[in-house]
Amino acid sequence: MESLDLLAMREAYNRQRVMLCFNGPISRSLIEEIGTALRNYLQADQAKPSAAMDVFGVYIEMTQNIRHYATQQGFNEQDASATVAIARDEDNHYVVSSGNLVMLEDGRKLVAFVETLASMDKAQLKAAYKEQLRKPRTEGAASGAGLGLLDIARKSSACLRASLHEQTDGKAFFSLSAVI
Amino acid sequence: MNTSELNIPSTQSTPAIQGDWQTGILAMQGDSYPENSFELFDQVIQWVERYLNDEARPLKLELTLLYLNTSSIKAMMDIFDLLEDAHQQGRSVSVNWHYDNRNERVAELAEEFREDCTFDFSILAFEE
Repeated sequence: MESLDLLAMREAYNRQRVMLCFNGPISRSLIEEIGTALRNYLQADQAKPSAAMDVFGVYIEMTQNIRHYATQQGFNEQDASATVAIARDEDNHYVVSSGNLVMLEDGRKLVAFVETLASMDKAQLKAAYKEQLRKPRTEGAASGAGLGLLDIARKSSACLRASLHEQTDGKAFFSLSAVI
Repeated sequence: MNTSELNIPSTQSTPAIQGDWQTGILAMQGDSYPENSFELFDQVIQWVERYLNDEARPLKLELTLLYLNTSSIKAMMDIFDLLEDAHQQGRSVSVNWHYDNRNERVAELAEEFREDCTFDFSILAFEE
Protein backbone atom coordinates (compact mmCIF):
# COMPACT_ATOMS: atom_id res chain seq x y z
CA MET A 1 0.00 0.00 0.00
CA GLU A 2 1.15 3.48 -0.81
CA SER A 3 1.99 5.21 2.47
CA LEU A 4 -0.06 8.25 3.34
CA ASP A 5 1.82 11.47 2.88
CA LEU A 6 0.23 13.39 5.71
CA LEU A 7 2.62 16.27 5.32
CA ALA A 8 1.61 16.74 1.67
CA MET A 9 -2.06 16.62 2.71
CA ARG A 10 -1.44 19.15 5.45
CA GLU A 11 0.45 21.45 3.12
CA ALA A 12 -2.31 21.23 0.50
CA TYR A 13 -4.97 22.06 3.12
CA ASN A 14 -2.94 24.95 4.48
CA ARG A 15 -2.22 26.32 1.02
CA GLN A 16 -5.94 26.23 0.15
CA ARG A 17 -6.83 27.61 3.59
CA VAL A 18 -9.04 24.66 4.49
CA MET A 19 -10.42 25.13 8.02
CA LEU A 20 -12.18 21.83 8.24
CA CYS A 21 -12.62 18.86 5.95
CA PHE A 22 -14.06 15.39 6.00
CA ASN A 23 -14.07 12.40 3.67
CA GLY A 24 -15.98 9.21 4.38
CA PRO A 25 -19.37 7.70 5.17
CA ILE A 26 -21.48 10.36 6.82
CA SER A 27 -24.10 9.67 9.50
CA ARG A 28 -26.73 11.83 11.12
CA SER A 29 -24.66 12.20 14.30
CA LEU A 30 -21.45 12.89 12.37
CA ILE A 31 -23.18 15.78 10.54
CA GLU A 32 -24.09 17.23 13.94
CA GLU A 33 -20.63 16.70 15.45
CA ILE A 34 -18.77 18.21 12.50
CA GLY A 35 -21.35 21.02 12.50
CA THR A 36 -20.58 21.79 16.15
CA ALA A 37 -16.84 21.80 15.41
CA LEU A 38 -17.50 24.13 12.48
CA ARG A 39 -19.46 26.53 14.68
CA ASN A 40 -16.64 26.56 17.23
CA TYR A 41 -14.08 27.31 14.51
CA LEU A 42 -16.23 30.11 13.12
CA GLN A 43 -16.57 31.60 16.59
CA ALA A 44 -12.80 31.36 17.17
CA ASP A 45 -12.33 32.90 13.72
CA GLN A 46 -14.53 35.80 14.92
CA ALA A 47 -16.96 35.40 12.04
CA LYS A 48 -19.98 37.70 12.24
CA PRO A 49 -23.02 35.86 13.68
CA SER A 50 -24.89 36.24 10.37
CA ALA A 51 -21.94 34.88 8.32
CA ALA A 52 -21.43 32.03 10.78
CA MET A 53 -25.10 31.11 10.50
CA ASP A 54 -24.96 31.17 6.69
CA VAL A 55 -21.85 28.96 6.56
CA PHE A 56 -23.39 26.54 9.03
CA GLY A 57 -26.71 26.54 7.15
CA VAL A 58 -25.06 25.82 3.81
CA TYR A 59 -23.03 23.02 5.38
CA ILE A 60 -26.21 21.48 6.88
CA GLU A 61 -28.22 21.67 3.64
CA MET A 62 -25.36 20.19 1.59
CA THR A 63 -24.69 17.27 3.91
CA GLN A 64 -28.37 16.51 4.56
CA ASN A 65 -29.01 16.55 0.80
CA ILE A 66 -26.21 13.98 0.39
CA ARG A 67 -27.66 11.79 3.16
CA HIS A 68 -31.20 11.97 1.74
CA TYR A 69 -29.98 11.10 -1.74
CA ALA A 70 -27.82 8.16 -0.62
CA THR A 71 -30.72 6.79 1.47
CA GLN A 72 -33.20 7.24 -1.36
CA GLN A 73 -30.83 5.42 -3.77
CA GLY A 74 -30.09 2.65 -1.27
CA PHE A 75 -26.34 3.28 -1.67
CA ASN A 76 -23.93 1.15 0.35
CA GLU A 77 -21.60 2.81 2.86
CA GLN A 78 -18.81 3.20 0.30
CA ASP A 79 -21.01 4.92 -2.29
CA ALA A 80 -22.72 7.02 0.39
CA SER A 81 -19.43 8.70 1.30
CA ALA A 82 -19.29 12.46 1.31
CA THR A 83 -16.35 14.80 0.81
CA VAL A 84 -16.82 18.12 2.59
CA ALA A 85 -14.48 21.09 2.99
CA ILE A 86 -14.85 24.54 4.48
CA ALA A 87 -12.14 27.02 3.48
CA ARG A 88 -11.37 30.74 3.11
CA ASP A 89 -10.74 32.26 -0.29
CA GLU A 90 -8.31 35.09 -1.18
CA ASP A 91 -10.97 37.71 -0.33
CA ASN A 92 -11.49 36.04 3.07
CA HIS A 93 -14.93 34.76 2.13
CA TYR A 94 -15.93 31.36 3.45
CA VAL A 95 -16.21 28.65 0.81
CA VAL A 96 -18.31 25.58 1.60
CA SER A 97 -17.83 22.64 -0.78
CA SER A 98 -19.19 19.14 -0.89
CA GLY A 99 -19.00 16.18 -3.22
CA ASN A 100 -20.72 12.81 -3.49
CA LEU A 101 -21.52 10.02 -5.91
CA VAL A 102 -24.76 10.33 -7.87
CA MET A 103 -26.31 8.46 -10.77
CA LEU A 104 -24.98 10.08 -13.96
CA GLU A 105 -28.44 11.20 -15.11
CA ASP A 106 -29.25 12.77 -11.74
CA GLY A 107 -25.87 14.48 -11.80
CA ARG A 108 -26.61 16.05 -15.17
CA LYS A 109 -29.96 17.31 -13.90
CA LEU A 110 -28.29 18.76 -10.80
CA VAL A 111 -25.67 20.61 -12.84
CA ALA A 112 -28.42 21.98 -15.11
CA PHE A 113 -30.43 23.08 -12.06
CA VAL A 114 -27.41 24.84 -10.55
CA GLU A 115 -26.88 26.61 -13.90
CA THR A 116 -30.52 27.74 -13.85
CA LEU A 117 -30.03 29.11 -10.33
CA ALA A 118 -26.94 31.01 -11.51
CA SER A 119 -29.08 32.90 -14.04
CA MET A 120 -31.51 34.10 -11.35
CA ASP A 121 -31.24 37.24 -9.25
CA LYS A 122 -32.01 37.37 -5.51
CA ALA A 123 -35.69 38.25 -6.04
CA GLN A 124 -36.20 35.38 -8.48
CA LEU A 125 -34.43 32.98 -6.13
CA LYS A 126 -36.71 34.07 -3.30
CA ALA A 127 -39.82 33.57 -5.44
CA ALA A 128 -38.65 30.11 -6.55
CA TYR A 129 -37.79 29.22 -2.95
CA LYS A 130 -41.21 30.24 -1.67
CA GLU A 131 -42.90 28.32 -4.47
CA GLN A 132 -40.89 25.18 -3.66
CA LEU A 133 -41.71 25.61 0.04
CA ARG A 134 -45.44 25.61 -0.80
CA LYS A 135 -45.31 22.30 -2.67
CA PRO A 136 -46.90 19.38 -0.79
CA ARG A 137 -44.54 17.32 1.36
CA THR A 138 -44.60 14.24 -0.84
CA GLU A 139 -43.99 16.24 -3.99
CA GLY A 140 -41.22 18.13 -2.25
CA ALA A 141 -39.56 14.87 -1.22
CA ALA A 142 -39.67 13.54 -4.77
CA SER A 143 -37.99 16.63 -6.16
CA GLY A 144 -35.20 16.00 -3.65
CA ALA A 145 -32.48 18.57 -3.49
CA GLY A 146 -34.56 21.48 -4.87
CA LEU A 147 -35.38 23.40 -1.70
CA GLY A 148 -31.93 22.84 -0.18
CA LEU A 149 -30.16 24.06 -3.32
CA LEU A 150 -32.40 27.13 -3.52
CA ASP A 151 -31.61 27.89 0.12
CA ILE A 152 -27.87 27.49 -0.52
CA ALA A 153 -28.07 29.75 -3.60
CA ARG A 154 -29.86 32.42 -1.56
CA LYS A 155 -27.18 32.35 1.16
CA SER A 156 -24.32 32.59 -1.34
CA SER A 157 -22.68 35.88 -2.26
CA ALA A 158 -21.56 34.48 -5.65
CA CYS A 159 -23.08 31.96 -8.06
CA LEU A 160 -22.87 28.32 -7.02
CA ARG A 161 -20.30 26.25 -8.90
CA ALA A 162 -21.05 22.65 -9.78
CA SER A 163 -19.10 20.01 -11.64
CA LEU A 164 -19.58 16.40 -12.62
CA HIS A 165 -16.94 13.72 -13.21
CA GLU A 166 -18.06 10.43 -14.69
CA GLN A 167 -17.15 7.31 -12.73
CA THR A 168 -17.82 3.60 -13.29
CA ASP A 169 -21.23 1.83 -13.02
CA GLY A 170 -23.25 4.70 -14.48
CA LYS A 171 -22.31 6.94 -11.56
CA ALA A 172 -20.61 10.30 -11.39
CA PHE A 173 -18.96 12.45 -8.73
CA PHE A 174 -20.97 15.63 -8.23
CA SER A 175 -19.32 18.54 -6.50
CA LEU A 176 -20.83 21.80 -5.41
CA SER A 177 -19.22 24.92 -4.02
CA ALA A 178 -20.79 27.99 -2.41
CA VAL A 179 -19.08 31.25 -1.44
CA ILE A 180 -20.57 33.01 1.59
CA MET B 1 -49.59 12.21 32.18
CA ASN B 2 -51.73 15.07 30.99
CA THR B 3 -51.81 14.65 27.21
CA SER B 4 -52.78 18.31 26.81
CA GLU B 5 -49.32 19.46 27.82
CA LEU B 6 -46.37 19.40 25.48
CA ASN B 7 -42.87 19.35 26.92
CA ILE B 8 -40.03 18.35 24.61
CA PRO B 9 -36.46 18.87 25.79
CA SER B 10 -33.90 20.24 23.35
CA THR B 11 -31.20 18.16 21.66
CA GLN B 12 -28.14 19.28 19.70
CA SER B 13 -30.24 19.65 16.55
CA THR B 14 -33.76 20.25 17.87
CA PRO B 15 -35.35 23.05 19.92
CA ALA B 16 -36.97 22.84 23.35
CA ILE B 17 -40.76 22.99 22.96
CA GLN B 18 -43.43 23.67 25.60
CA GLY B 19 -47.13 23.75 24.96
CA ASP B 20 -49.16 25.05 27.91
CA TRP B 21 -52.81 24.20 27.33
CA GLN B 22 -54.15 26.31 30.24
CA THR B 23 -52.48 29.57 29.23
CA GLY B 24 -52.67 28.81 25.49
CA ILE B 25 -48.96 29.46 25.00
CA LEU B 26 -46.73 27.43 22.72
CA ALA B 27 -43.05 28.23 23.18
CA MET B 28 -39.94 27.07 21.31
CA GLN B 29 -36.29 27.91 21.89
CA GLY B 30 -33.08 27.03 20.06
CA ASP B 31 -31.83 25.66 16.77
CA SER B 32 -33.75 23.24 14.59
CA TYR B 33 -31.96 21.20 11.96
CA PRO B 34 -32.98 17.54 12.24
CA GLU B 35 -32.81 15.47 9.04
CA ASN B 36 -36.52 14.81 9.15
CA SER B 37 -38.21 17.66 10.95
CA PHE B 38 -41.68 16.12 10.78
CA GLU B 39 -40.59 13.34 13.18
CA LEU B 40 -40.40 16.18 15.72
CA PHE B 41 -42.96 18.71 14.49
CA ASP B 42 -45.86 16.36 13.71
CA GLN B 43 -46.68 16.23 17.44
CA VAL B 44 -46.48 20.04 17.66
CA ILE B 45 -48.73 20.44 14.62
CA GLN B 46 -51.21 18.00 16.21
CA TRP B 47 -51.11 19.92 19.51
CA VAL B 48 -51.93 23.18 17.69
CA GLU B 49 -54.74 21.51 15.71
CA ARG B 50 -56.22 20.00 18.89
CA TYR B 51 -55.99 23.25 20.83
CA LEU B 52 -57.62 25.30 18.06
CA ASN B 53 -60.31 22.66 17.68
CA ASP B 54 -61.11 22.07 21.39
CA GLU B 55 -60.65 25.55 22.84
CA ALA B 56 -62.07 28.96 21.96
CA ARG B 57 -59.36 30.82 23.89
CA PRO B 58 -56.48 32.71 22.19
CA LEU B 59 -53.33 30.91 21.10
CA LYS B 60 -49.99 32.64 21.48
CA LEU B 61 -46.61 31.49 20.15
CA GLU B 62 -43.47 32.68 21.94
CA LEU B 63 -40.51 31.80 19.73
CA THR B 64 -36.79 32.20 20.35
CA LEU B 65 -35.77 30.05 17.45
CA LEU B 66 -32.38 30.58 15.82
CA TYR B 67 -31.17 28.59 12.85
CA LEU B 68 -33.76 26.49 10.98
CA ASN B 69 -32.90 24.09 8.17
CA THR B 70 -35.25 23.94 5.18
CA SER B 71 -36.98 20.86 6.57
CA SER B 72 -37.82 22.76 9.79
CA ILE B 73 -38.89 25.84 7.82
CA LYS B 74 -41.42 23.66 5.98
CA ALA B 75 -42.78 22.36 9.30
CA MET B 76 -42.99 25.87 10.82
CA MET B 77 -44.81 27.06 7.72
CA ASP B 78 -47.42 24.34 8.33
CA ILE B 79 -47.90 25.64 11.89
CA PHE B 80 -48.28 29.26 10.70
CA ASP B 81 -50.77 28.08 8.05
CA LEU B 82 -52.92 26.59 10.83
CA LEU B 83 -52.77 29.90 12.69
CA GLU B 84 -53.66 31.81 9.53
CA ASP B 85 -56.71 29.59 8.92
CA ALA B 86 -57.83 30.09 12.54
CA HIS B 87 -57.34 33.85 12.21
CA GLN B 88 -59.46 33.89 9.03
CA GLN B 89 -62.21 32.23 11.08
CA GLY B 90 -62.05 35.02 13.64
CA ARG B 91 -59.85 33.32 16.25
CA SER B 92 -57.30 35.25 18.27
CA VAL B 93 -53.82 34.00 17.41
CA SER B 94 -50.46 35.73 17.67
CA VAL B 95 -46.73 35.17 17.33
CA ASN B 96 -43.89 36.88 19.17
CA TRP B 97 -40.53 35.99 17.63
CA HIS B 98 -37.62 37.12 19.83
CA TYR B 99 -34.11 37.47 18.43
CA ASP B 100 -30.67 38.60 19.55
CA ASN B 101 -30.09 41.98 17.88
CA ARG B 102 -26.53 40.93 16.92
CA ASN B 103 -27.89 38.34 14.51
CA GLU B 104 -30.08 39.96 11.86
CA ARG B 105 -30.37 36.64 9.97
CA VAL B 106 -32.89 35.46 12.53
CA ALA B 107 -34.99 38.61 12.02
CA GLU B 108 -34.86 38.05 8.24
CA LEU B 109 -35.98 34.46 8.68
CA ALA B 110 -38.90 35.55 10.87
CA GLU B 111 -39.77 38.32 8.41
CA GLU B 112 -40.12 35.82 5.55
CA PHE B 113 -42.68 33.89 7.59
CA ARG B 114 -44.50 37.08 8.57
CA GLU B 115 -44.91 38.08 4.90
CA ASP B 116 -47.39 35.23 4.44
CA CYS B 117 -49.38 35.90 7.63
CA THR B 118 -52.13 38.45 8.29
CA PHE B 119 -52.46 37.79 12.04
CA ASP B 120 -50.55 39.63 14.78
CA PHE B 121 -46.88 38.68 14.23
CA SER B 122 -44.18 40.62 16.12
CA ILE B 123 -40.43 40.35 15.62
CA LEU B 124 -38.72 41.60 18.75
CA ALA B 125 -35.02 42.30 19.28
CA PHE B 126 -33.38 41.69 22.63
CA GLU B 127 -29.89 42.55 23.85
CA GLU B 128 -27.81 39.91 25.60
